[in-house]
Amino acid sequence: MKRYDLIVVGAGPSGLSAAIEAAKCGMEVIVFDENKKPGGQLFKQIHKFFGSKEHKAKIRGFRIGQDLLREADSLGVHVQLDATVMGMYMDKEITVRIGDGIQHYKGDSIIIATGASENMVTFPGWTLPGVIGAGAAQTMMNLHGIKPGNRVLMLGTGNVGLVVSYQLLQAGCQVAALVDAAPRIGGYGVHASKVSRCGVPFYLSHTIVKAEGNDCVTGVTIAQVDEQFKFIPGTEKHFDVDTICIAVGLSPMSQLLKMAGCKMEDNPRKGGQVPLCDKYGETSLKGVFVAGDVSGIEEASSAMIEGRISGIAAACSLGYITGSRLEEKYQEHHKALNGLRQGMFAPENRGKILKKTEEGIDISESLLQKGYLTADEIEKYPGVTHQKGIHPVMECSQNIPCNPCQDACPKKCIKIGENITSLPAIDEKAQCVGCGMCVAACSGQAIFLVDEDIGDGFASVTLPYEFLPLPQKGDMGTALDRSGRPCCQAEVLNIKSLPAFDHTNLLTIKVPAEMAMNARFFKQI
Amino acid sequence: MYTINDRSRDIGEFIPAEDDDMLICRCEEITKGEIRRAVHDGMFTLTEIRRYLRTGMGLCQGQTCSRLVKGIVAKELGISPAELEPATARVPMRPIEMNILAAEETEAI
Amino acid sequence: MSSRIENHPILGKPETGRKVSFTYDGKKYYGFEGEPIAAALKASGVMVHRYTQKEHRPRGIFCAIGRCTDCVMVVNGKPNIRTCVTPLEEGMTVETQYGVSSIMQKRKAE
Repeated sequence: MKRYDLIVVGAGPSGLSAAIEAAKCGMEVIVFDENKKPGGQLFKQIHKFFGSKEHKAKIRGFRIGQDLLREADSLGVHVQLDATVMGMYMDKEITVRIGDGIQHYKGDSIIIATGASENMVTFPGWTLPGVIGAGAAQTMMNLHGIKPGNRVLMLGTGNVGLVVSYQLLQAGCQVAALVDAAPRIGGYGVHASKVSRCGVPFYLSHTIVKAEGNDCVTGVTIAQVDEQFKFIPGTEKHFDVDTICIAVGLSPMSQLLKMAGCKMEDNPRKGGQVPLCDKYGETSLKGVFVAGDVSGIEEASSAMIEGRISGIAAACSLGYITGSRLEEKYQEHHKALNGLRQGMFAPENRGKILKKTEEGIDISESLLQKGYLTADEIEKYPGVTHQKGIHPVMECSQNIPCNPCQDACPKKCIKIGENITSLPAIDEKAQCVGCGMCVAACSGQAIFLVDEDIGDGFASVTLPYEFLPLPQKGDMGTALDRSGRPCCQAEVLNIKSLPAFDHTNLLTIKVPAEMAMNARFFKQI
Repeated sequence: MYTINDRSRDIGEFIPAEDDDMLICRCEEITKGEIRRAVHDGMFTLTEIRRYLRTGMGLCQGQTCSRLVKGIVAKELGISPAELEPATARVPMRPIEMNILAAEETEAI
Repeated sequence: MSSRIENHPILGKPETGRKVSFTYDGKKYYGFEGEPIAAALKASGVMVHRYTQKEHRPRGIFCAIGRCTDCVMVVNGKPNIRTCVTPLEEGMTVETQYGVSSIMQKRKAE
């Protein structure tokens, strides 16, 4: 039986981060992962992350994964792939299936970072081929280069449902609709708006009546539900789709901890069965730590910080660093973690209906129910101003912990301030030069450059564009408004793709001046 | 004062429902009706349901249906899912052939 | 009809292994070496991987990460192979799984 200072189970964002920190402290670390590729869900995340610089904001998930792997590798962390941890026993012993054999390993400390599994809902036909989890859709299109379907209906409007819907569009699939039994969109408004402006309708207070088809999905019927989630007769709507994607939340995959005898709790706010643990992630079993979704469902950004904390805590538990050094490093990570847990989507606000932003602005009901801000509402936000010449219009209406736009502007036009969740505001004294760095830096794709008067009664709108084929200068097309409805004809004035934009192309279109504050997407003819 | 597992407690009659034929455990093909009926047959815990019906005992080891079964049983007992004692977690975590499970190597690589 | 993504706006052209052939229910198919069997089948439009033991209902890809085991098929004569996590190899024999074997059973007698 091989012995290690630290065994990490799961090579996702939290597991790798934990291994890195522990290895930095001088520990001999092995990481087991059942998959053939490391990185957990990070390599399926092709969108830019929220947060601040220290949280790796505006970097796409898969690149964060690549960085973590490189760092782990350079520190001599042994990542054993295709190795399924089958069980965890007393005294920190685990059994691992590698190839056609079972092997025993013992860790002087163990960090469980197994992540989560997808929740499911049932409806007639839910076992038909063509009904898939949202994670399956991401895996197929972003890892294996396969379209999950040609026409997809998404059930669930949490961040997973919203982000995967957008990714489906990027992969060249059609998204027929987003459906959620809840009366409000669960994820970030900016993620919803990205999908909405492409013309995808949202059906809130709706759910699936049945999936249709004999051998695979050929269609789906949805209907409106009342407050008790009962179908309202006569509200049925049918869609011809070949794929139904389910994104209704995640549950911590905590079975290993339970079988090893950790004290567990059933905590709906954390997504289900989670171990009781202290601030360092140490469970009721001494030397057994947790990090990431297995200890409560959050996001990859917080999982990475939790991993770092449990990594140093494991190092301290074996005497690799002193208690005071641990406390010092903990404070630093804790501050970063706290930063991510602020704002409207903070854990303590889960399930609450907020009426106003931190700035006291009414929260848009249209955004929460239809996925877009209306043209009137947009004027209320501090990021939206009218100026002569080119200037950014920041349609950021929810307090989320994210601030890359502030750093992106070389002219300091954008102010967020000390509080990372504040809505971005325009510094009217600073002069925008139209470089577009803010447009590409906004993970929510909520910043546009607008010049309300470029002469002859026209305006220009520069928007983030992450689709193929790229429109060419001079192309004519249709401008779509925030709801995805055509609003006017548009001509492509420019398309800019810089390495610094990291695949977010800046598309500048010419529209009639009165459409400057409406045109937000471009559809090629 | 009753406890959740007090079998003399009255949970009412089994009332057939429209969605009783909804498949819940995909691997073992167990329906919602079968699970609900099992509760009325006296299976109050998830472990008992598992042994009685084989829900979550198939290839996937309950990865997909555990949460669904828990919700159904809790509802039938008139309690919240969080109050229901979770099913026991056991080795192996993933499907594995018996010849491999039995082929323990004494020296790790 | 292929459902492969030729060029992705963020990820570019997908990296693939060499083109290999395999058989699916006796017919010759092509895919890329090392990709999951399920991906190669999906690219060729195959949706049904198996029919269940009790109800003989069709199943296909569901979780795509080896958890749900709904996509199992008979591969090289061995049943219950999770095709979503098993890499494709040249010359593989992939068969629809009926219950736990590749032999089609009679529909449930009723």
